[in-house]
Amino acid sequence: MGASTEEPSFLVSARDRQREMIEAYYADLATAGGAKRPVAYMLVGGNLTEIVRSFGYEVVFPEIVALNCAIKHVSLPNILQAEAQGYGLDVCGYVKNDLGLQQLGGQTPFGRIPPPDLLVCSFSGCYVYVKWWEALAEKFGCPLFLLDVPYLRDERPPTEDLGYIVAQLNEFIAFLEKASDRRFDPASLRRTLAHSRAAEEGWVRYLASGARRPSPIEAYFEAVFHMFPINVLRGTEEAARFYATLNAEVDERVRSGAYPVPEEKVRLVVEGVPPYPNYRTFWDFFRKWGAVSVAATYPKVGGLFDRGFLHDPARPLESIAEYALGAYVNQSWPLRRKLIEEYVREFAADAVLIHGIKSCRSFTAGQGDLRDRLIHDLGIPTLYIESDHEDPRYFAPAQIKNRMDAFFESLDRRRGGAAEPLRGAP
Amino acid sequence: MTLVAGVDIGSTTAKCVLLEGDRIVGKSLAPVGVELVKDAERALAQALAEAGRERHEVAVVTGTGYGRFKVAFGRFTVTEIGCHAKGAHFLFPGTRVVLDIGGQDTKAIKVDPRGEVVDFAMNDKCAAGTGRFLDVCAGALGFDVSEIGALAEGARHPVKVTNTCTVFAESEVASYVARGKEPPDILAGLYGGIVGRSLSLLQRVGVEPEVTFTGGVSRNGGMVRTLERRLALPVNVSPLSQYVGAIGAALHGRERTEGISA
Ligand code: SF4
Repeated sequence: MGASTEEPSFLVSARDRQREMIEAYYADLATAGGAKRPVAYMLVGGNLTEIVRSFGYEVVFPEIVALNCAIKHVSLPNILQAEAQGYGLDVCGYVKNDLGLQQLGGQTPFGRIPPPDLLVCSFSGCYVYVKWWEALAEKFGCPLFLLDVPYLRDERPPTEDLGYIVAQLNEFIAFLEKASDRRFDPASLRRTLAHSRAAEEGWVRYLASGARRPSPIEAYFEAVFHMFPINVLRGTEEAARFYATLNAEVDERVRSGAYPVPEEKVRLVVEGVPPYPNYRTFWDFFRKWGAVSVAATYPKVGGLFDRGFLHDPARPLESIAEYALGAYVNQSWPLRRKLIEEYVREFAADAVLIHGIKSCRSFTAGQGDLRDRLIHDLGIPTLYIESDHEDPRYFAPAQIKNRMDAFFESLDRRRGGAAEPLRGAP
Repeated sequence: MTLVAGVDIGSTTAKCVLLEGDRIVGKSLAPVGVELVKDAERALAQALAEAGRERHEVAVVTGTGYGRFKVAFGRFTVTEIGCHAKGAHFLFPGTRVVLDIGGQDTKAIKVDPRGEVVDFAMNDKCAAGTGRFLDVCAGALGFDVSEIGALAEGARHPVKVTNTCTVFAESEVASYVARGKEPPDILAGLYGGIVGRSLSLLQRVGVEPEVTFTGGVSRNGGMVRTLERRLALPVNVSPLSQYVGAIGAALHGRERTEGISA
């Protein structure tokens, strides 16, 4: 099919700009150690980038390094290395990529990843994180700070939870003052948070455009790509500028009628971490059917900004605490389910697609029940597909394609749609 | 009346059905080899020969099954999920759930009153509980798979086959044989194991009558009876159960050509 082989011209200039930013970030990191800039490792979910950067640290997100390795098809050697060290088949692929990569010297096609001087376990919802960071602390012998973030159980963060996190943030600041030998500068943190806020507002505007019909954005595959500045470079002017460019481009797309697929046939809400080693192939399975993601939950694992969890320079620590509590990855299952139901309504979606991760026992657990609830209780057509976010051995293209074809075929028929030109599909 | 053909290229067999109106006028079934394009052509040629018809009389050919893209002369392809739903509804119009156990996969499909797919669940990357699994286990007992249908009826003390892996189940069966267990007891255990796995797929889509059982394994009477007992429901099985996918493909092709020409 034509659409499956075309290089999408959509959002090309923002994409190029972002590519430059990613390259510059990794190039910078590669020199960080040599220039004696300290390096902090952190997790994406509800991360504390602004505070850490205000102490002069470079930030590495091993999850993002891992997904970049997977997209570049270099995750498997790292995974095999970790398995040779004794990490089992069912251990999370992010963890194995990171520990294997460290063992092999930290060299990636996009630059060398410097070892940590500081480990910040900024999220505790997945027990794997804690063990992972402990393994790193043991290997590198560097200090480890663990922020304990309770799961969000109510839509409004409970005051006692917020107080609990703010108290830990104060401890964290004292810990950083000692570790970096620098004084905390509240004015600098406020400035950083103002940049964060600007980037967040731009990102929210971008995501909201998925509600248009047809959608000018691909709210899963493209949004996942455009998560990089909001997660990694948040707090810089550059990130805020990037989303302004991205939105100008989306406006231009709406004016000129250039959409992610030539003819939007199915509007989807997507849940779950992508199969990064087979990103393009998986995306092609959607495009072939004119399916576009109009909203997705995964781009919000770092922060649920579109539901109001924004940083606020006037309330620095309080807003950081709210943000960390509200990150999608930190929401309890009833809240996750509710959000998906709301997305289906607000974005006028036809169906939900869930991609589950074989080696994830935390974020993925519960997605089977989600599928059942969406189908049986709410009558929303839902497809559950499973592979892995890091390990290419779990991606069975023929079987995944077969399920997706059957799903889109049945949607098409139930809506009394015209016959899909099925013949000759790859 | 238009003559339409459905060709189902599965993992172990190629099937073809020729449909004229609601009448099956020709069919064929043969094992697949490595050249699927040729297998598909042969399947159509054999069905035409059985019907005494010519290729040019066929208005549209639709391919289905894992090898559907190898039906090079076909006009449409439809997934086997859509075809099994359609085909089962054609044979048993009251069908709401289809259980298909083929050579290498098992699927449960929920259908609406028009035979359209509402939901489906499939086993994953594993031949456990499929036709292949039965072949292997029948072999371990020294039987051909076609002989084992009624054997389990004589079971007095069914064993428990706990392994869901084809390879391990084979050695489990061998160990029961070595321990002197009777073939009917072992087979009853095997059927129980396979049906148990199928039930979890059925429960994912939701069980409601009528249940139609399709695919090669539905020809095994022991499996059918075990399934009925576990579901506490009668199960529809057609003598044409291996052709359900091909029938569905022919029907899809007909609907589409009618839709296009209308
Ligand atoms: S939530 Fe899942 S993917 Fe993330 S670290 Fe934990 S196990 Fe791995």
